[in-house]
Amino acid sequence: MMSTGNIQRYRNYSALMHQHEQEVKMKRTFKVFLYFLIIAFVTIILLMVLRWEQKQEIKNQGAEKTEATIFTVSQPVKV
Amino acid sequence: MSEDEIREEYSILDQSRKDPQVFGLLYEKYFDRIFNFIYRQTDDEELTADLTSQTFLNALNNVGKYQFRGVPVSAWFYKIASNEVNKHYRKKKHDKVFSIEESLVRDLLDQGNDGWDEEHIQRLLNYMKDLPTDMLEVLELRFFEDKDFKEIAFILDITESGAKMRTYRALDRLRKNFNLKIKYDGKE
Repeated sequence: MMSTGNIQRYRNYSALMHQHEQEVKMKRTFKVFLYFLIIAFVTIILLMVLRWEQKQEIKNQGAEKTEATIFTVSQPVKV
Repeated sequence: MSEDEIREEYSILDQSRKDPQVFGLLYEKYFDRIFNFIYRQTDDEELTADLTSQTFLNALNNVGKYQFRGVPVSAWFYKIASNEVNKHYRKKKHDKVFSIEESLVRDLLDQGNDGWDEEHIQRLLNYMKDLPTDMLEVLELRFFEDKDFKEIAFILDITESGAKMRTYRALDRLRKNFNLKIKYDGKE
């Protein structure tokens, strides 16, 4: 067992507080970064969905046109 | 430790959630004990200083998560310290060291054993070196750190009856080989 006098030189609460503050800051920064990542991810997903929807609309419009052409061709021609 | 003292310490811990400076009171009170507790398991002054510092830093960082379970705040510090020591040995892949202080063993024997000569004490110390780590852990907490079974159970993450059983088994082994009069609850 070590005596209190010997242990005294290792006792440093201000250093511990400093380290604690640093870790709190790190944690806060990490949280902000994480929130930023989540928001960026959600935005990207939203943009991708919107783009996909736009593409689908264009595709649908194209399909309607094709159908109309087929309909015109398939009509029996009366002479 | 009385119920009031336990509550008082808990209120200090509670205050330190808002003001970390208050935690200093508990740091000053328990630093020596935690330091010696770790030192007995490392036998290395510098390493002990690092692990003690890490113990209190972990406690301070997680003060918001602490839940009152009827045991003194010190038991929480011992638990963190024990985890830190185990983590260190796992990382280094070394066997755990247990240094048993002769003076503490002598104090323990003085409680109820007359006629112990130097040879007997040395034999007992040598025998204790061969005891399994889990037994040494409970003996250390029960007789050298003066913890009750509820605290030991909390520190080692076992049930109270498990802590009693472990202590009983450890003392039983010592009793079989030596004429020890100490009972597992610490009374003669």
